[in-house]
Amino acid sequence: MNILHWIYGVLSFLGHDIGYALAYIIESIILLIFVSVMLIFMIYLFRKYMARVQQRIGPNRVGKFGSLQLIADALKLMGKEIIFPKERDDLPYKVAPYIVFFGLILAFAFLPYGNLSIFGNLTITYSDVSIIFIFAILAIMPIGEVLAGIGSHNKYALMGALRSVAKDVSFEVPMMLSVLAIVMMASARTPTSLSLESIVTTEILPYGILEPIGLFVFFIAMIARASYAPFDMGESDSELVSGYSTEYTGMRFALFYIGLFGSIFLGSLLIALLYIGGFNGPFSSQIGFIWLMVKGLILVLISFTIWLSMPRIRIDRLVNAGWKYLLPISFINLVLAGVLTLGLGW
Amino acid sequence: MNDQWIELNIGPQHPSMHGVLRLKAKLDGEIIRELEPVIGYLHRNAEKLCEMGFYCDNLIYFDRMDYVGAMNMEVGYLEAAEKILGVPPPDRAKWIRVIIAELSRIAAHLVWAGAYGLDLGMLTPFFYCFAEREKILTIFTEACGSRQETNYMSIGGVYQDFNDKIIQEIKDFLETFPKRLEEIYNLYVKNDVFLSRTKGIGVLSKEVAIAYGVTGPMLRASGVEYDVRRAEPYLFYDKVNFEIPISHKGDNLARFLVRFEEMRQSLRIIKQGLEKLPEGPYFNPKAKKSMMIRLRGDGEYYARTESSKGEFGVYIVADGGVKPYRVRVRSPTFKNLSILPVLSKDVMLADMIAISGSIDLVFGEIDR
Repeated sequence: MNILHWIYGVLSFLGHDIGYALAYIIESIILLIFVSVMLIFMIYLFRKYMARVQQRIGPNRVGKFGSLQLIADALKLMGKEIIFPKERDDLPYKVAPYIVFFGLILAFAFLPYGNLSIFGNLTITYSDVSIIFIFAILAIMPIGEVLAGIGSHNKYALMGALRSVAKDVSFEVPMMLSVLAIVMMASARTPTSLSLESIVTTEILPYGILEPIGLFVFFIAMIARASYAPFDMGESDSELVSGYSTEYTGMRFALFYIGLFGSIFLGSLLIALLYIGGFNGPFSSQIGFIWLMVKGLILVLISFTIWLSMPRIRIDRLVNAGWKYLLPISFINLVLAGVLTLGLGW
Repeated sequence: MNDQWIELNIGPQHPSMHGVLRLKAKLDGEIIRELEPVIGYLHRNAEKLCEMGFYCDNLIYFDRMDYVGAMNMEVGYLEAAEKILGVPPPDRAKWIRVIIAELSRIAAHLVWAGAYGLDLGMLTPFFYCFAEREKILTIFTEACGSRQETNYMSIGGVYQDFNDKIIQEIKDFLETFPKRLEEIYNLYVKNDVFLSRTKGIGVLSKEVAIAYGVTGPMLRASGVEYDVRRAEPYLFYDKVNFEIPISHKGDNLARFLVRFEEMRQSLRIIKQGLEKLPEGPYFNPKAKKSMMIRLRGDGEYYARTESSKGEFGVYIVADGGVKPYRVRVRSPTFKNLSILPVLSKDVMLADMIAISGSIDLVFGEIDR
């Protein structure tokens, strides 16, 4: 029983073919709405949390406690004049924000969300190789950033894009290696060890306890992936004005901005799923979804705290950290995972 | 010029160019090969305007020079103008000036400390610093009704006497501020990323600093114990105990530490000033408000004072009239800025931003 079947159950009077087709469409719309609402909530949370950290009040004019501020801002951005740089490379410039944004939404479609009371399992798309798919999608997003940097025909944007690529390349490998360690350990228990769903459902202990090194590496790589301080290389706002998004205005800028928060949310959910048990918890057959969200939001708040208290690291030190420290550490983690799996049979 | 280099215009509208500095940089990848500061975007002709105003009016142009620590600028101008006009302020006014000038120095250093965090990509300390600065500005508002361009001092004294409320506010500030200062200090120096961005970056040697005429915290961070307040005391700086913080490292971190230590020493000076504040007139009767524009001076005088940025010199030439013949300002930040191309040669772009932040640029004073 999952949410697709639940929707089909409501629509079954339309017959098998049309019913399932409509159910898939409705399911996609639900996903889009869910992700958008979560992102709006996250940006609101960020602004309020940032204000608390910085001894300010934060948004408090539009709606109760400023809760509608984000909607007001979005409307303002839509109404803004869109300024195109004169010598832009048209197609990359226009396509880039959408690649970043929709790549992000696609990744959400393959996450397992756990159960929620009558709706059953909320997972949108099942796949036996969902990990490969999610990390492939995560590798598409930097392409959007590069296209934005090249297409803007602006030196700041280009340098921001180059920094962003340098950062992504140096953290992608440690990130994949630490995921590989988990897949290795899960393969002892499930034949579909590349599926996030079966990794989480078959775990005995959260992998964060078995592989603290992997958690550390993956967390740092996720900070770099989402690109916030201390690794906000793509933007580097005090050096490169606004990095690859320098020349963007209006909704296209908003897509980059939302993409940043989306990456934080996605990264937190991935950490929650892979390392701290995801939707597992007491009564997880009824409220597993809520467990996942609670764990995810706690991780989001930790990310915000890091963001707000760290200066930006220098690009050469960042690349060094990726290749010289995180990569060897993640190899050690891989070996340890092998020892745990084969030697001790965990 | 290598054809692989990128020519990049940083500023005048750029998030980390304090005010309106423009830098023409030639970049080899991320490394700066050549750097040329371009100034003059905030030029307001202050020196020439001073020739057209009465001695008492010219004070407002000095407020607008170093606008983050305006009181120190007023002290600098009045040191020269009062000598020319022969209207020395009474003791109470001098002590008030010491207290207010040191408060203003703390306010200026707080702006710097917050903005330096922003330069390095650190968002939070900025608000902590400005919350503290706000308390100082409240004291200024109580004293003269204005926050930033205060125009508080005046020829022959100060505009208004300290009342009990101001003294109480300063005492409250002295009590709460040290704790908050340590909090801000710890936010920075206990952060490894901050240390990696400042330690050993932008090292300014003693010899180069002296050769370029660098003064103030930058010079003291390079190991030269020179402070006008000690070398050539004005007001009552010879009657208060304070230490001149120095460091021999000469890097960004040393400049950071020296400025924070200066704030602690300023607190000591304010405390002693409040203890020694005598009763009596706060205004020289010779410079009554109605008579002020009739004051005439003759001769020439150069006064130097220690502003929050360094040695601030005011040179006034008078020809016996009610207006000065010529006013010339030695701006500390202008001299300090001249060191930026030297320090930023062959460093990374991110380090150049960190170095330019550590100089503490205020453009009102450079362009005048």
